[in-house]
Amino acid sequence: MVTKIIHIIFSPILALVVGIFFLGLARKIMARIHWRYGPPLVQPVIDMIRLFYQKSVSHGRMFDLGIILSLAGSIVVVLFLPFGQICPLAGSGGLLVILYIMLLAPLGLALSGGQGANPNISIGISRKLILSLGYEVPLLLVLLAVMTCYKTISIVEVVNAQDNTGWSITSWPLFLSGLSYFLILPAILGIRPFDVSSAPQEISSGPMAEYGGKYLAIATIEHAFVLFISIALFVNLFLGGAANPAIFFVKMLVVFVLGLCINAVFPRFKIEQAIRYLWKWPTLLAFLGLIMTLVIRS
Amino acid sequence: MSLELLLIIAFGGALLTYLGGKLFGKIRHFLAVAVSLALVVLVACLYGRSMERTYYWGFLGLNLVLRLNMFSWFFAIAISSLGMLSVIFSLSYMKDRERTDFYYLMLLVVNAAMLGIVFSGDLVSLFIFWEIMSWSTFLLISYNRGPALAAAMKYIIMSIVGSMSLLIGMLSLYTRYATLNISEISTSLASADSGYILFILIVFSIAFGIKNAVMPLHTWLPDSYAEAPSPFTAVLSGMLTRMGIYGFVLIMYVIVGAVSTLNCGSGILKFNYILAWLGAITIVIPTFIAMLQNDAKQLLAWHGIGQGGYMILGIAFGTSLGLAGGIFHTLNHAIYIVLLFMSVAAVQYRTSGERDLNSLGGLIKKMPVAFIGGLLGICGLIGVPLTNGFVSKWLIYKTLIVEGYPFLAFAALIGTWGTILSVYKFLHNMFLGQLPEKYRDVEKSPLSMQLPIIVLSLAILVFGILPGIPLKVIDTIGTSFGFESLNITLWGITSESGTLNTINIFSAVLVAAVLFWLLFRFGAKSVPVAQDDSYAAGAYTPADKYHYTVEFYNPLYRMIKPFLRDVIDEFYYWIASSVRSLAGSVRHIYSGDVGYYVMYIILFLALLIFVQTRWKIW
Repeated sequence: MVTKIIHIIFSPILALVVGIFFLGLARKIMARIHWRYGPPLVQPVIDMIRLFYQKSVSHGRMFDLGIILSLAGSIVVVLFLPFGQICPLAGSGGLLVILYIMLLAPLGLALSGGQGANPNISIGISRKLILSLGYEVPLLLVLLAVMTCYKTISIVEVVNAQDNTGWSITSWPLFLSGLSYFLILPAILGIRPFDVSSAPQEISSGPMAEYGGKYLAIATIEHAFVLFISIALFVNLFLGGAANPAIFFVKMLVVFVLGLCINAVFPRFKIEQAIRYLWKWPTLLAFLGLIMTLVIRS
Repeated sequence: MSLELLLIIAFGGALLTYLGGKLFGKIRHFLAVAVSLALVVLVACLYGRSMERTYYWGFLGLNLVLRLNMFSWFFAIAISSLGMLSVIFSLSYMKDRERTDFYYLMLLVVNAAMLGIVFSGDLVSLFIFWEIMSWSTFLLISYNRGPALAAAMKYIIMSIVGSMSLLIGMLSLYTRYATLNISEISTSLASADSGYILFILIVFSIAFGIKNAVMPLHTWLPDSYAEAPSPFTAVLSGMLTRMGIYGFVLIMYVIVGAVSTLNCGSGILKFNYILAWLGAITIVIPTFIAMLQNDAKQLLAWHGIGQGGYMILGIAFGTSLGLAGGIFHTLNHAIYIVLLFMSVAAVQYRTSGERDLNSLGGLIKKMPVAFIGGLLGICGLIGVPLTNGFVSKWLIYKTLIVEGYPFLAFAALIGTWGTILSVYKFLHNMFLGQLPEKYRDVEKSPLSMQLPIIVLSLAILVFGILPGIPLKVIDTIGTSFGFESLNITLWGITSESGTLNTINIFSAVLVAAVLFWLLFRFGAKSVPVAQDDSYAAGAYTPADKYHYTVEFYNPLYRMIKPFLRDVIDEFYYWIASSVRSLAGSVRHIYSGDVGYYVMYIILFLALLIFVQTRWKIW
């Protein structure tokens, strides 16, 4: 019981630290690819503390509540994801619940932005929602392949099953699904070339256009969590989770840096191009993966 | 308390309301609320009892029977409660309309007829009540005249096709077994050959499929929902359409029985498998069509079709988990769709009937209760965790995944994402964004509208956090059909292949939200600003012109619009217009000139003589 409480308290904090570290690392790596020196690793932390003490504007009740709802949703997802062997809410609904609570984050931001009544926000939200529909198609096929393969909806059991059978990504049909997930990872994270919804130079950061001060700080925390969640999900489903948080962290780091280096050199897609890409190759791979899983299972 | 008395109160109360209204307007309102409230109380008192009584002997040699069991009770309580809320909501919505007496009469008759359907113990009674329901619905849909007449005509034509199909099935059963009592037929059908069972299933599925708007029988629904008076649309979408689901469960698991239904057909051509695929199509296509709608009620109507697909998917596979999911989703859907239509109606009431999403906006500050109703309604519709829609969808997904149908599960899941896009537009365009100048003085909704909205909002949360309450009842229904019992706790479901625990999710979300709210308060205070004081990166944004959501999903439209034409509706219209032109040409035979008719008779006689001399038939 006591360990459970400790896990519940510490796993979001751990996730936050990892997520923020990734944010700092991303800026550093991007800078180096651009032949710049880049900000120090702790820059996001400094920014956040500063932002909390700065003035901001509010457009109403929903403007405030939406962003809190979004962040609360992200934290709850973290509690459902095994981090090493830590998984506080293992037996409460499995992958289906994770899939659905992941909704709260974009929905909360969209509701909050909606009350912002700003044209840039509208464009950003429209792009964000369309993009999420775009990557959900392959993502759902991937998750269904995994669930069908291991005949369970519990993510903990998926992780445990890989102890015996080896990593999913090395087993034959799930290799396709894993590859597909890796291809859509930048779209889930909203990083290049899929940064259509924030697009700072184009629509002044889209959904975040009206945010300032503490709103911006919370939006950053939210982004850190999203980073953590989507990579941790990949590590759990395809790289066999890990025996302890340290190894888990190393696996996440490898996936993140690999993804970042590949995608940093692409220019931004238009939203139609993004959808067309997402519904072509990743979907095809995920579809094949699911069919083969079905064939092998029966 | 006998069932006859209950139905007499239901129908008699409707008539009394009409007559009372003719005398004095206040009596009408009082009687309508009293009758509908009395029905809720009476039905609630029948909880847990089961009975079967003959109420009329010798109708064409058949006994007419009323029966009560958990299955009919479950539907009856939903019908009567939602009916009551709708009556209360109508009080102010219909206040200054004409023909209000007639409206309440029909509304109460529809309610009574639905109660009659679920309490029917034989197919003749079911058919009679079914027809009363269909015809009174027709009268209510056409209440507003104008385009409503065309919508109602479409409804009644499809409804008649369904009724005929039902009648064919009944006649066939009657000639074969000489009885139409439901329990007697089900014992006789247990030994029938599978070909006959397939015939019965298909014939009844057409009837119930039209009512439940399963694709390709859905085309009556969008126009009817949009054109009917809004409080009645709530009833229509909440329970009346779902009489189709009642019918499906009745025919599949009560009359034919689970074993025969699940063994009907072979391979991928099994009856329930095809039904499930129809359900999946019914989810995906309407949900994506809903994204293209700009009319608030049309948008919800398309979702009404789509959500029907989830229920079909749930009940199709005949597992206790799926059946529980399907029936539970019927209840949940009723709650949130009624709530959504009421929230639209509340906005309509204050904005002189505006339901075009592109000319509303910013009403959150003016009508907070309607907004909360809309927000919780869309959360339920999406299936956000901690709302009721999530639990039933979880049950359905889990059934599909564990039974090994990932593609059906995919259709169901992707439907959810289509839902998010369209309902966000729905909520945003009504309540968020900028408030147009002409709605600056809109008042909040009257109490009789707020009350049903608050009750339903609470129901969404209670059933989402403590789903065990309705699931216990549903589990009893499942076991009465011969399925194994589920392991249900107050806050979820336990099983080997995955457990659901809503109370854990609830406490986690609550604690996280409270913590962040505190953190939020701790930061520097934010300054409230006017709605047009927004940052547009140096660009000029004129005040009162904020409607950047008019073509909100345009990039997506361009890609998917060609695939989303309602081909089936166009096909039906083509049939209708060809029949009309055929009839038009046939009409020329009747010229009105006696000489022609004499000629027809002579020609016919000549034909007869020719046939006789040539082939010597007679």
